Amino acid sequence: MWYPELAPKSASQPASPVDRSADVRWFEAVVQTIEDLVPRVEVAEPGVAYVPVGGAVRYYGGEEVLAEKIAGAIPPGARLGLADGPFAARQAAERAGENEPFIVEDTASFLRDLEVDALGPGELAETFRWLGVTTLGALARLPREAIASRFGVEGLTAHRLAAGEDRVPLPRSIPPEYAVESCHYEEPLELAEQVAFLTRNLAAQLLERLAREGMSPFRVMVEVEAADGTVRQRTWRSTDPFTEHALAERVWWQVRAWIDTPGGIPGGVVRLRLDPSDLSGEGRQLPLLEPVERDGATTWQEVTIDRHDAERALSRAQALVGPDAVLQAVPKGGRMPHEQVEWYPWGDRPPEVTTDAPWPGKVPPPSPALASPTPPPIEVEWDGGMPVRIRLGTRWETVLSWSGPWRMVGRWWEGEGPADRYQIVTSVGAVLCVVKDGRAYLAGVYD
Amino acid sequence: MKLLQPGRITEVYGLTGMGMTRLGLGLLAEPSRRAPVVALDVKGWLSPLAAWEMGVDSSRLVIVRCPDPERWPQVAAALIDGVQAVYAEVPAGVGEQHLRRLAALARARRTGVALRPLGDALPSGVAHLRLWAKEVRWEGVDHGHGQLRRRYLVVEVSGRGVAGMTKTMEMVDDGTDVMRVVSGVGAEERQPARVAG
Repeated sequence: MWYPELAPKSASQPASPVDRSADVRWFEAVVQTIEDLVPRVEVAEPGVAYVPVGGAVRYYGGEEVLAEKIAGAIPPGARLGLADGPFAARQAAERAGENEPFIVEDTASFLRDLEVDALGPGELAETFRWLGVTTLGALARLPREAIASRFGVEGLTAHRLAAGEDRVPLPRSIPPEYAVESCHYEEPLELAEQVAFLTRNLAAQLLERLAREGMSPFRVMVEVEAADGTVRQRTWRSTDPFTEHALAERVWWQVRAWIDTPGGIPGGVVRLRLDPSDLSGEGRQLPLLEPVERDGATTWQEVTIDRHDAERALSRAQALVGPDAVLQAVPKGGRMPHEQVEWYPWGDRPPEVTTDAPWPGKVPPPSPALASPTPPPIEVEWDGGMPVRIRLGTRWETVLSWSGPWRMVGRWWEGEGPADRYQIVTSVGAVLCVVKDGRAYLAGVYD
Repeated sequence: MKLLQPGRITEVYGLTGMGMTRLGLGLLAEPSRRAPVVALDVKGWLSPLAAWEMGVDSSRLVIVRCPDPERWPQVAAALIDGVQAVYAEVPAGVGEQHLRRLAALARARRTGVALRPLGDALPSGVAHLRLWAKEVRWEGVDHGHGQLRRRYLVVEVSGRGVAGMTKTMEMVDDGTDVMRVVSGVGAEERQPARVAG
C-alpha cells in the first residue's frame, strides 16, 4: 500500500532527510486502520506499508474483496498492489490507479516485463542498461554466478528480485537474546527528549550486538509499554539492512507518532524494546555462504538458515578460541605444503594471491594432510645416504621405499642454506622430510 | 554408501600416516557444495591443501584450531550446533560423556560429524559408522626414484551404519578428489597380508 504524496517512487532518489514524524503520525492512523482488517502490517517508510494477506484473503473470500475493503477503509490517495513478495507488490502499487487496486495474477511474468529501473536508483540499474539488459526478465535470464561474481551481493540481490525470489522472512523465530530492551518502571520517561535519546541508544546497541555476530536486520519490531500497561507494537522493514541512523530515526518517528496520537502513551514510557527479525549475514564478507540451486529449484531459504546458524556457530567458536584460531585459506604458489597456503581470519576478505606462476620445486599432489610451518626434528637412520629406519612416535619403522633427495636451494638472501626433501614410505604410511645441515625434520605426514 | 550422514557420527581411526585425515577431510567435500564446513584442528597441523585436493570448496572450508583439550568439548559442541558438516580431531583423553553428548547434539541438529580420535578409538556406541585404517601401501616411489602417486588404503567398516556387519574395503587415492573403492564393501573378511615394497 503506497501513498505517492508521502513516499517517492522507488525508482527515484530518496527524499532528503527531513523530520518526517508528522508523516509517520498521520500514517500510523492509516496502518492502525488496516490492522483492524489484517494483522501484522509492516511499515517500510511513511507512506509505504506491506500487508501480508495470505490468511486474510481466505477470511474475506478473495483478493479483490480484501483489496477493496482496505481501499475503502483508508484515506483516499493510496495505491494498492497485490503480488507475491514485497518487491513485486510495491511495483504493482506504483502501477495501480487511485481506487483501483492492481492485482498481479502471475508475478513472474509481471516482473519479467519491468524495466531494470525498478531495482531502484543507482549505478547498478544504469550499468545493466548500458550493458543492454533493460528488463528484469533479461536480467533474470543471465546466469546467477556471473552476476554474483561481477556485481557482488548487490547484483545477486537484484538478480533474485528479478527472478521473483523476494526476501521472505525466516520461518523460525530469531533468538530472543538478540532483542534489546530498556526498562524504566521506577521513573517513566515523559519528556520527548528522554525518549529520543533512549531510541538512539537502543538502536545503536542492537546493531552493535548483531554486528558482532556478523548480521544486520531487515525488520525490527518496536514495542513500547506505557505506564498504564498499554503495549504498542509496530514492525518496520527495509529493503537493505538497517543502518544505525536509519533505524534510530524510524524508531523515534514511531514512538513519537504513538505519543502524539490520541490515547498516546499514558503516563510515559516504562519499557522500550527492539526486536530484530529477518537477519542478514551480509554485514560480514562471507562468500562461502552463497545460496545454491539444486535440481532447478532454489534452496535459498534453507541456505539462509544454514548461513545464520553457521555464522553463529563460528562466532561462538571464535569467542572460545580467539579470532586467530578460526581461519580460512586460499591456495598460493610455493614449494613446501605450508607455503602453498595463505591463511586469513574467518570473516575477513580473502587475500589476493597469485597462483599461476609455475613452481618447479613444488611437492606434487597428493599433498600431506598434516603439515607444519615449523617442522620439528625427526630421527632418521641412514646407510650410505639412503634412509633405512625412521622413528615415528615411540616406534622405529623400517623404510620400505623413498623418493629424493630433491634439492631445494634456500633463500640465500635470507641466509637460508640448501636443503633436501625426501618422501619416505613405511608400512604405516608416508611422511615428507626435509634434511638440512645433516639434520632431518618432519615437514608433513601423508595422513 | 554415504560415509558421512546428517545427524550421525563417523569415526575415522588409524595410526597417524595411514591416511585417515585425508579421508576424513574428503568427507566434507560434498557438504561444502551447499554450506560452510568446518575442520577442528587440535595439533595445528591440518593442511587445507589435502582438503582442496579432495574436492572441498576452499571458500566454504573454515579451520578452527583448538589445542586445549579442556576447551575442546565446548568448541566442538558450538560447531556441531550450527555447521552442517564437521570434521574434528579428538584429543586423547576426552571423556566419554562429552562424546556421547556431542553425538546427541549431532543427532538433534542433523549435523554430519567425522571424528578423528588422536588417542584411543571412540567408545562403542558413539559412532554410527566406524572406519578403521588397517593397512596402507603407496605406489610411485622406489629407492630414491619417482614420487608418491597412489595410495591403497584398506579400511575396516563397522558399526550400526553397516548393521553391525564388519566389512573391509580398499580405497585408492591418487591425489584427485576421486577416492575409488576397489573391492567395495562387499569384500567380506578379507585377510590382507602385510605388503612390503
